[in-house]
Amino acid sequence: MRVVIAEDSAVLREGLVQLLADRGHEVCAAVADAGSLVAAVREERPDVAVVDIRMPPTHTDEGLRAALELRSEFPETGVLVFSQYIETRYAARLLERNAAGVGYLLKDRVADVADFTAALERVAAGGTALDPEVVRQLLAVRGAVSGLAALTARERDVLALMAEGRSNTAIAAALVITDGAVEKHVASIFGKLGLEKSGSDNRRVLAVLQYFNR
Amino acid sequence: MSERARDDRRAWSPLLAVIRAPVSNRTWREVLYCLAGLPAGLAGFLAVLVPLAAGAALSASVVGAFLGVLLLVAALNIAIGAGSLFRGLASGLIAVTLPEAPKPARGSGVLGRLEARLRDGRGWRSVAYLAARLPVGSLGSGLILAVWTYALFFLTYPLWWNAATRQALEPHRRHGLSSVLTPFPAGGARITTAGGAFEVMLLALPLLLLAPWVGRGVVALDTWLLRHVLTSASLASRVRELEESRALAVDDAAARLRRVERDLHDGAQARLVAIAMTLGMAREKLGADDAGVDPARARELVDSAHAGLKEAVSELRDLARGIHPPVLDNGLPDALTTLAAQSAVPVGHFVDVPRRPTASIEAIAYFCAAELIANVGKHSGASAAALEAHLVDDDLRLRVWDNGCGGAAALPGGGLAGLGERIRTVDGALEISSPRGGPTTIVVRLPMHA
Repeated sequence: MRVVIAEDSAVLREGLVQLLADRGHEVCAAVADAGSLVAAVREERPDVAVVDIRMPPTHTDEGLRAALELRSEFPETGVLVFSQYIETRYAARLLERNAAGVGYLLKDRVADVADFTAALERVAAGGTALDPEVVRQLLAVRGAVSGLAALTARERDVLALMAEGRSNTAIAAALVITDGAVEKHVASIFGKLGLEKSGSDNRRVLAVLQYFNR
Repeated sequence: MSERARDDRRAWSPLLAVIRAPVSNRTWREVLYCLAGLPAGLAGFLAVLVPLAAGAALSASVVGAFLGVLLLVAALNIAIGAGSLFRGLASGLIAVTLPEAPKPARGSGVLGRLEARLRDGRGWRSVAYLAARLPVGSLGSGLILAVWTYALFFLTYPLWWNAATRQALEPHRRHGLSSVLTPFPAGGARITTAGGAFEVMLLALPLLLLAPWVGRGVVALDTWLLRHVLTSASLASRVRELEESRALAVDDAAARLRRVERDLHDGAQARLVAIAMTLGMAREKLGADDAGVDPARARELVDSAHAGLKEAVSELRDLARGIHPPVLDNGLPDALTTLAAQSAVPVGHFVDVPRRPTASIEAIAYFCAAELIANVGKHSGASAAALEAHLVDDDLRLRVWDNGCGGAAALPGGGLAGLGERIRTVDGALEISSPRGGPTTIVVRLPMHA
């Protein structure tokens, strides 16, 4: 997998490069600001770009804006955005039109190397990767209002993992249940919440998020 | 310089000041100020008096009331202009800076604006100042002129006397201008011997020594008028001053917190995340899952994480010091000594602060000193510097001197300007003396309690 990294903290950038190289991925470029990021992606056409939201010069949302630009200009390149804090409006902006090849993670998640690389591979393959913390906040805030009470505890777990963008197989592995059981839960959730059946995993994410944003 | 030598210098200095006064820069500037002020005061007073009187007279009548009010407003505007002229003269020549009175609200509509102008205290105070200055200025300038003329006349008396006696040999020129002891044709004594002429010259000495002090006296009187008549020491302007400095203090505090947050985010947090990543990788290499075990690589990763943690700790320690340096708990002398010792440029220090100021003042003084010394290292190219802290009249006075290239100034948005604002929020003062080519002296005055 070919990756471009954009992160202004040198310490973290080096760590990411090392991490990915260790796993056998190729880091084509590691840059420290939004302008260089777009140029590097244009030149290298990687499978996925890892982008820090806060970058110079203003350290507010340069990375986010660059990510949106990359999404429209290079749709084949996945974009995994990460930031120190959860900003749910950034997540909303990223997922506005479609959820294919997009991810939003907390920087802390990087410490879980297996999870991080799995998320990265998912995004590179065109899937979605939402931080569990984002999902948790969404469910906590909206859960009481919407029909979550109707779901069983197991179904809520499946819903959370679904909202992260994981595939049925991944959900089954995470909850240590069979694929078939996952499918049954998913169908039940869709029925109880009145979501329309959607094909791919990332469309599912959108459906869930749209449900919660009503 | 040893303490004794410094004390001796201090004892002699008033005498030296008196002797040096007649030819000092300050004296010439004061004389110039008085001489310039005389025609300016006269002209200003007349320029204001005429429309003021006319306006007042017209306003009394019914017919010309509006015109009268317009004239009054015009007079007040002229007065304010004259006031600014005198402010400028004062700050340029005698180094007296006065706080700017804030402009009052404009008022809406023609009548509203006129009313606002009529009520504007600045105008009336300027009129009062011009009126008071007229007698002070004319008498004072007259006195100064007289003393200096006499002093110079006596100093050069032998020349006059020589010329006069030669003249007096011609019988029809009995009294020349200078055989008398005054430049004026009336009164005075006659000097007939050369010795007498030299005695007169000696008389010049006390006059010369006296002359600058007459000037100082007149200028002091005028300064009093400037400070108490032209600018208002009233409660309203004090309140405005406090509001401004409070806003500055709040902004300053918010900016400092943002800096701390940035430092934490970019420094310690990023480092800790990187370390967590490294340890995560190390755990894998130790066989946490079914991937290959690689103890050598794991050891490398753990070493790297260990080094990173040590750096994170030291970064956090620096950050904490930036918030509140622990060394300040022992008081300013220790803290300033440490600052001086840590500077790259050798800093001679002399701290004499018998009473401790309040904690917030101590912190401000410490951070001021730290920033000033850092500036010496960064910008001045100096080879030596000095840091002094004294208690002067219940004020803490911090002085940083360096022999570098000078040119330090409080540019808007710059470090020195920010320092000045922070000092202002506690009613302190910052004085910068930094001519190009150096040396630079910066003095910070802070009250003992905020």
